[in-house]
Amino acid sequence: MAILSCGNSERLFWLGRYSERVYTGIRTLQAQSGTWSSQAGRTCFDDSNPESLCSSLMRAYDNAIVLRDEIGSETFSYIQMAVYCMNSAKRSPAPLLQLQKVNDNIAAFWGMADDVISDEHVRGIIKLGKRIERVDLYARNNAGNDDIRREVMRLTYRIEKTGLHYSPETLSALNELAEERDINRHEIIRKVESLISFS
Amino acid sequence: MALTEEELCSQAGSVNEQLARYGVKFGIYKNGEFHEQLFPFDVIPRVIGHEEFSYLERGLKQRVTALNEFLRDIYSDRKIIADGVIAEEFIYSGSGYIAQCDGVSPPGGIYSHISGIDLVQGKNGSWYVLEDNLRIPSGASYPMIARELCMRSIPGAFTGSSTEDNRNYPELLRHVMDYVNTGGHSVILTPGRFNAAYFEHSYFAERTGARLVTCEDLTVENDKLYFIDYSGKKEQVGAVYRRISDEYLDPVNFNRQSLIGIPHIFDIYRKGNVALINSPGNGAADDKGIYYFVPRMVKYYLGEEPILQNAPTYLPYYDADMSYVLEHFDSLVIKDVAEAGGYGVVFGSKLSSGEKENFKAMLRSEPRRFIAQEVIDFRDIDIYEDGQRVPRKADLRAFVLMSDEPVVWKSGLTRFSRNPDSFIVNSSQGGGFKDTWILSE
Repeated sequence: MAILSCGNSERLFWLGRYSERVYTGIRTLQAQSGTWSSQAGRTCFDDSNPESLCSSLMRAYDNAIVLRDEIGSETFSYIQMAVYCMNSAKRSPAPLLQLQKVNDNIAAFWGMADDVISDEHVRGIIKLGKRIERVDLYARNNAGNDDIRREVMRLTYRIEKTGLHYSPETLSALNELAEERDINRHEIIRKVESLISFS
Repeated sequence: MALTEEELCSQAGSVNEQLARYGVKFGIYKNGEFHEQLFPFDVIPRVIGHEEFSYLERGLKQRVTALNEFLRDIYSDRKIIADGVIAEEFIYSGSGYIAQCDGVSPPGGIYSHISGIDLVQGKNGSWYVLEDNLRIPSGASYPMIARELCMRSIPGAFTGSSTEDNRNYPELLRHVMDYVNTGGHSVILTPGRFNAAYFEHSYFAERTGARLVTCEDLTVENDKLYFIDYSGKKEQVGAVYRRISDEYLDPVNFNRQSLIGIPHIFDIYRKGNVALINSPGNGAADDKGIYYFVPRMVKYYLGEEPILQNAPTYLPYYDADMSYVLEHFDSLVIKDVAEAGGYGVVFGSKLSSGEKENFKAMLRSEPRRFIAQEVIDFRDIDIYEDGQRVPRKADLRAFVLMSDEPVVWKSGLTRFSRNPDSFIVNSSQGGGFKDTWILSE
């Protein structure tokens, strides 16, 4: 097992979260947009808005660039290329086509991370960030109950493999919430966001 | 090269795309803001023949051995001063000299583990050393990754060629770290992402297997240096390839304002409990004023004639040199010894008459601050620009790594000016780079 600093464990986690945020955000836009709207443009490309997809991708990049030694140049390169594609999408008359390439690169980044990162904690922390973000986004975006249950289950499976500090009580409560017939989405978000602590 | 020039140049875009893909960049501050920029790469390599490189290799080993001896001497016996070879004010008044290093013997007895020696080739083919960089010389990562990406993008360029493989730099660097390691992990200490050479720090960490760390990851306890992992466990560190300048390295011993240093790291270095690569205090030997004396050091310490020449240099500190400089001001380049990166360089011929008089007055009042050099008419090398070959000024940074013996890396960073009228090749001032091919036969 490689030695990993506290700062880098947190960066890996956020790399997972931000990459998922962009990926699911683009998929949502693809599902919603028959045509490209000015609202979609703001959601995507407003770099003065910290919640836009391009801002989220830059936060993923900010974390990835300082993790080159943990994740490797090959894995890093897919985040770099996603940034280039996002910039092209901004200038494109058909932004969804270029955004598809952003997601292709993010998917390749995840695949490469899974394939080439030998340290299971490093791999596991990226994936945990991704799972936590997905549960949060699904709860916010009115995804189906089965989708939320599946993601909570995947998160639960993943968390032990990271070596991060987490609250077993919160995890247990999260699982109970996910099993309810009418899922309390607000509570799901509250629990999933308080699951991990970085000292 | 097995390829024609057209074939090679037609792939220039592919190589630069690959460099962009892997984030091969450098940082620069403009108007107080940080920007990341791609480092422009020219696909036509600088080629140095086997015989010529053997000559450079001998000269570089000799020079770096003498510089290491000089550093050992001035921080211990000071014989070179007692014997009148160098006036002591040149050593002790320089900003690179660190009094706290007196009497300190670094692990392995090595001061300059990684030396970057800047050379230029004159039009007559002679090589001249322009500058010794013994503190934190950077740049080896660029030709190394460029070679890898060129081999991928233009495989035909290497077919049947006898070019030395330069992708062994991480092994050479790792050997240096292991050689001086006092026990524990080897790490690369970076000031952080907003350093100009951050790409290099992270790339070397990836390729050497040394952990990339910032100050917050390290702590000194019980006279040892430790890395703190994310579970709070402490692992001992025995070698630090630090990419932080001396003054910021340890806020207890040096600059108290430093937020990027490690308190007490210098104390345990002094006790021999951790190796610092390169050693603190090396600035005493790569000061532009000390450069003048390097050929004398070679003779003094090694009893040999210097193989490599300096560019003809004058020290206004000496009366005879001051007279010469004032008289031949227009034909000289004047350098501020405290500056680097192509800054503080003034070509006498380019000043107005008023500026010349002001500058001469400054020379008279602060003679130790400047050196003057004859302008070497560099041999131009061609770059590929807008579909054609055009000549540009270029230098070569050669890297010498010191462990049980000095090793010259069989490549180097060739930097060129993109401005046809300029001698300034530094990346911070818009320069580009080339790979440097060393022929093995």
